Amino acid sequence: MNPRPDPNELTAPDDGIARGGVLLDVKNVSLSFGGVKAITDISLNVLKGEIRAIIGPNGAGKTSMLNVINGFYTPQEGTIIFRGKERRSMKPHQAVGQGIARTFQNVALFKGMSTLDNIMAGRSVRMKRNIGWQMLWHGPALREEIEHREKVEEIIDFLEIQHIRRTPVGKLPYGLQKRVELGRALAMEPTLLLLDEPMAGMNLEEKEDMSRFIIDVNQQRGTTIALIEHDMGVVMDLSDRVVVLDYGKKIADGPPDEVKNNQNVIDAYLGVPH
Amino acid sequence: MFYRTAGQFKTSYEADHALFPVRQDAILLGVILIFAFVIFPFTASEFAFRALLIPVLIYSLAALGLNILTGYAGQLSLGTGAFMGVGAYACYKLVSIFPEMNIVVAIALSGFFSAAIGVLFGLPSLRIKGFYLAIATLAAQFFLVWLFQKWAWLYNYNASGAIQVPNIDLFGITVAGPRATAMAQYYFVLCVVCAITFFAINITRGRIGRMWKAVRDMDIAAELVGINLMRTKLMAFFVSSYVVGIAGALFVFLWRGAAEANLFDIPLSFRVLFIAIIGGLGSILGNFLGAILIVALPVIISSVPGAFGIPVDSAMVEHLNIMIIGALIIAFLIIEPHGLARFWAMIREKFILWPFPH
Repeated sequence: MNPRPDPNELTAPDDGIARGGVLLDVKNVSLSFGGVKAITDISLNVLKGEIRAIIGPNGAGKTSMLNVINGFYTPQEGTIIFRGKERRSMKPHQAVGQGIARTFQNVALFKGMSTLDNIMAGRSVRMKRNIGWQMLWHGPALREEIEHREKVEEIIDFLEIQHIRRTPVGKLPYGLQKRVELGRALAMEPTLLLLDEPMAGMNLEEKEDMSRFIIDVNQQRGTTIALIEHDMGVVMDLSDRVVVLDYGKKIADGPPDEVKNNQNVIDAYLGVPH
Repeated sequence: MFYRTAGQFKTSYEADHALFPVRQDAILLGVILIFAFVIFPFTASEFAFRALLIPVLIYSLAALGLNILTGYAGQLSLGTGAFMGVGAYACYKLVSIFPEMNIVVAIALSGFFSAAIGVLFGLPSLRIKGFYLAIATLAAQFFLVWLFQKWAWLYNYNASGAIQVPNIDLFGITVAGPRATAMAQYYFVLCVVCAITFFAINITRGRIGRMWKAVRDMDIAAELVGINLMRTKLMAFFVSSYVVGIAGALFVFLWRGAAEANLFDIPLSFRVLFIAIIGGLGSILGNFLGAILIVALPVIISSVPGAFGIPVDSAMVEHLNIMIIGALIIAFLIIEPHGLARFWAMIREKFILWPFPH
């Protein structure tokens, strides 16, 4: 086993934004598919170093919001400023280059590959040796491979998945797959990590493990996290600030205690006659 | 039994990334290479070279090329035969325009022609997947074979419409053409196949191989971990068509000696696809196992019943061959989609655990 990694070494690359400064600023974004309005005029920001939760009933536009942030959808209106740079449309692989990584609501791992290869694939963008060196294998390509393997092993240690390193992920139970997916996202060394329902379908113990990993990622690595989650207990305990969406509109935004007592939120969750 | 992983500890990542983490695998490969380089050449007859050894190697190489595309990157192609044709015709034109060019250089360059054509016909893969992509590559198959027939410049305006391989020397030994000996051709093909297999293993186990497999397993997730889908897919088409083109050049120059356009028609594409499927998609070893089976099967059918006194005429051999291959394809698709390579992996696993059941 590797020695516990030094937290100072692992902090995300410095981008001139102090802890607590605005990392991501979404301004007046609207997204629609034909006549269906998924998101209507939503503004929200994510501060560097915080855990930000996005909650709301089914179909509220939470996942669409994440898809807008990481470039999978291009909003019809509004602007997105990430790390001080404004952008309108971009490809998802460019978002990765800027430091945004994410996990999925339904696990989206590479089923035929081992845990190790899945996490190594998360580092593809950081590996530079071209096909000529890859063909020869020995020399620079191998050195690069080992350098990245060391980083990946740190993540494997961190997530306590050493025993499944060589197992094809298709054969793993759901809870572990979720953990491997988190590992793959961490391998990208993101500045902003988007988690789409990291605890969906887990039992209490697995939820506790996952919560601990999320807090550790946030505190040890200094990664900013935006997450969607339905388990209110988890959301209220983990997050620094919560934004609530309903029918594509923002209905509340603030610290957990404030949001919990907001009448609009209670109405949206309990339902009121319209 | 022979396989024991006990006591073989890895103390560095370099050792863990070695080609043969288990020492016995390296020994086994060494034995196979000794057979291939030393024992076969001194024991094989002219017939064995021409009917078994050389075609097995060339078909393995073609299947390896297809496997990179279909087995690793997940892009189905039915145009392999035509891409082999591009390699063969490119090599023929290079040799006729520059007669003094070294044959190794000519073959290596001809791969680039088929790689370029492969990338061109791979462009639809950016939009379509699966069966629809297969149909797009089928278009390449028909178009290219038509081009081979109609564009007389390609076969130097021969009256027969066929390409004839001239005598070509390499270091004073004739390796291609009517004067070449089977043994010289065998060694030439063996060296090329070994070199390309080595490169292919390295590419598929490193960063690029992982990117291909990621695209195969879930393309949306691949894009969201930062993989550029367009570049990755086109690179798969490039590398795959390069290898297939080399196989095509060897096919004509080192084995058949002459070729007409219809040699590269769809039966050849299917034959290579069958080898890749029976051998195992997503495996390097599988191509060799599949090629051995497909090439050896007609030889076995024609010789084994004869040895027991049952007469089998050549038409019967052909029919039996087609029927058995068809049955094998269906059986493999149902029972073991990962083909012969997976069978070997299971046997190896048993050897390692023996005498314990699991």
